Amino acid sequence: MSLKAPPPPADTGRGRSGRAPRPVSRRSGIARLGPLPWIAPVILLILAVVIWPVVELIRTSFLNISIAGIVRGSAGTDKYKKLFEETDFGAVLLWTVIWTVVVVTVTMLLSLALAQLFNQKFPGRTLTRWALIAPWAASVLMTAIGFKWMLNQTAGVLNTLMLDLGLIDNSKDWLGKPETAWPWMMAVAIFVSLPFTTYTLLAGLQTIPHEVYEASRIDGASSWQTYRHITLPMLRPAFLIGVVINLINVFNSFPIIWAMTQGGPGYDTSTTMVFMYKLKETDIGESAAMSVVNFAMVVVLVLIFLKVSRWNEED
Amino acid sequence: MRNRVLATGAATLAMAMGLTACGGDSDSGDGKTIKLVAADYGDKASNASKKYWADVKKDFEAENKGYKVDVQVINWNEIDKSVKNMIQAGNQPDLLQTGGYADKVADDLLYKADEVLSPKTRENLIPSFAKAGEVDGTQYGIPWVSSSRVMFYNKAVLEKAGVKTPPKTWDEVAAAAKKIKSSKAAETPYALPLGPEETQGETMMWELGNGGGYTDASGKYTLDSAQNVETFDWLQKNLVKPGLTYTNPASTDRKTAFADFAAGKVGMLNGHPSLIQMAKDGKVDYGVAPIPGKTGPLDSTLGVADWMMAFKDGGAEKEGVKKFLDFTYSEKMLQFDEMYNLMPVTQDALKEMQTNGKHKDLEPFFEVLPNAKFYPLGDTSWDVISAEMKKTGGKAVSDDPKAVLGDLQKKAESAAAENK
Repeated sequence: MSLKAPPPPADTGRGRSGRAPRPVSRRSGIARLGPLPWIAPVILLILAVVIWPVVELIRTSFLNISIAGIVRGSAGTDKYKKLFEETDFGAVLLWTVIWTVVVVTVTMLLSLALAQLFNQKFPGRTLTRWALIAPWAASVLMTAIGFKWMLNQTAGVLNTLMLDLGLIDNSKDWLGKPETAWPWMMAVAIFVSLPFTTYTLLAGLQTIPHEVYEASRIDGASSWQTYRHITLPMLRPAFLIGVVINLINVFNSFPIIWAMTQGGPGYDTSTTMVFMYKLKETDIGESAAMSVVNFAMVVVLVLIFLKVSRWNEED
Repeated sequence: MRNRVLATGAATLAMAMGLTACGGDSDSGDGKTIKLVAADYGDKASNASKKYWADVKKDFEAENKGYKVDVQVINWNEIDKSVKNMIQAGNQPDLLQTGGYADKVADDLLYKADEVLSPKTRENLIPSFAKAGEVDGTQYGIPWVSSSRVMFYNKAVLEKAGVKTPPKTWDEVAAAAKKIKSSKAAETPYALPLGPEETQGETMMWELGNGGGYTDASGKYTLDSAQNVETFDWLQKNLVKPGLTYTNPASTDRKTAFADFAAGKVGMLNGHPSLIQMAKDGKVDYGVAPIPGKTGPLDSTLGVADWMMAFKDGGAEKEGVKKFLDFTYSEKMLQFDEMYNLMPVTQDALKEMQTNGKHKDLEPFFEVLPNAKFYPLGDTSWDVISAEMKKTGGKAVSDDPKAVLGDLQKKAESAAAENK
């Protein structure tokens, strides 16, 4: 197979023009397909696991499906109407935005600092770099459940600790109401997002040539000036990748919220993702509509971000 | 060479197709195999329902040569979702044992009870339960087990707080809870679990105490009736705000409340028979009393039943299903009830359990059973409404009850309209 030469360009050219007579031999017929046989498996895979589910999802959002699971026919746009009329829909959207913005912003800021730290030479650097991987290596669900129990009102170590330190005067049901549940869940989300982001930025930092720093030192730049005018601009590609991937991840984040509060009480700690999951219990069509909206939002979000950050432009 | 290219392509294609097709299940297809899906009532390996059903299967197959029973036991959290997936994939079971049935009647999936039960088995069912299995006068749901609710209290806690007799009215509940709190006799004076696990149960027990409930006499939903709103107003003002129950009832599940009671941390709560064993295991000296209402104890408490139902398109022949049900209901009913300390739905098992002396601790539950009130089980939109209540109903003790219940009522009305 490896001996096969790429098809001669003339061959494909004739094939495209459409004027060519029918290929004489089967060999040139196959060759006319060019690279298709090689990329076909991937295309099929994408069709099967990406495109087909999306099509099916959109189709489902226009169906009327009973709670027992029987399709009762088309629902038109009713499910979308029902979704937008949900009392909690607005609040859920708002919280999704707050959740995403807060978690991504704080993660990026902390990671910048951490990456800078890990880029220095200090004793035990290898060990601490390894340690940073832990929250990433552990399953997110496991981490979230761990935090849930640590925050438990009667048995949680965090409650005991804070009581002993005198930070609170009676043990609290942190995850029972939205005001305290949100900050804790955000903290966990940041905790699990840090390793990946820090490593991305660390890799970015290591690509900045030493000569540039040397030059700036000779020119007498202060360390803050160096950071602002050299490190940050040159870190841009890595930073952008970090932001985009975190945006998508955090927006779509499900296990943390589900494990810690199940989006409750009511929908008070639900993002659109959790909301979609909870709608599934009562109406699959409406849940699919929420998914379509989610999908659209994430696409728009990323497009806007790439546009604003002028993704492809090199400085 | 070319052939290898084609082969690789074909193999990948086959893999991709395999990926999309993995939802389908191979059906055993022949009419002699009865496929049963059942919920798991066990809480540990030693009392898993799988054991019970394996035993039923063995005895049934021995007695009825040629028939095969294919049992799948699924835990309560997953069973509804799994069954929904089976139905959507066109892979219905022949028999299903779970918490509700009416939603399946709405889609015309079930046999009528008289098609799959012999007259003898049908007459053996306790009438009030058989009636609860009816949709518009026709029985589809076949009761499986039942339970009724009473109030449990921790004797030591009440004594320490100086409460002489268990409360009979709401005001007495609040007063007793206050005493428990001020004497620090228990961490949670009254456990009010309104989290997703069983909002619909606790809600109904309190609403019944104020002459409220889920439907009016004609069967129309009245989730936000004046009585119901008043009930939650009272709970909010007298139990939740003064800190006489959990800080956030809307995110506290029943299993937490039961576990806390068994650990001696709760003064009073509403419970069903499975709490008896838990309390005994935790060495809690408990007492039971009728559930308090606004002006006096409830004369009809909440009764809950779980259901068996037979699907038309399961694939097994109707005769086999009938044989299996007749066998299970006549031979194996008592074994299940005794295994889980649940209450029977057949008359012979009830008589046996009341007279064989082994179930003294169930007596208070037997007593209130005949007058028990059920959820609107026979309403084809009840399953949707119950799921909605589980999601948001608990917020009625923290937010404005009128708004929360009003929202649920709106959902109930549109669900009912959709099913008409």
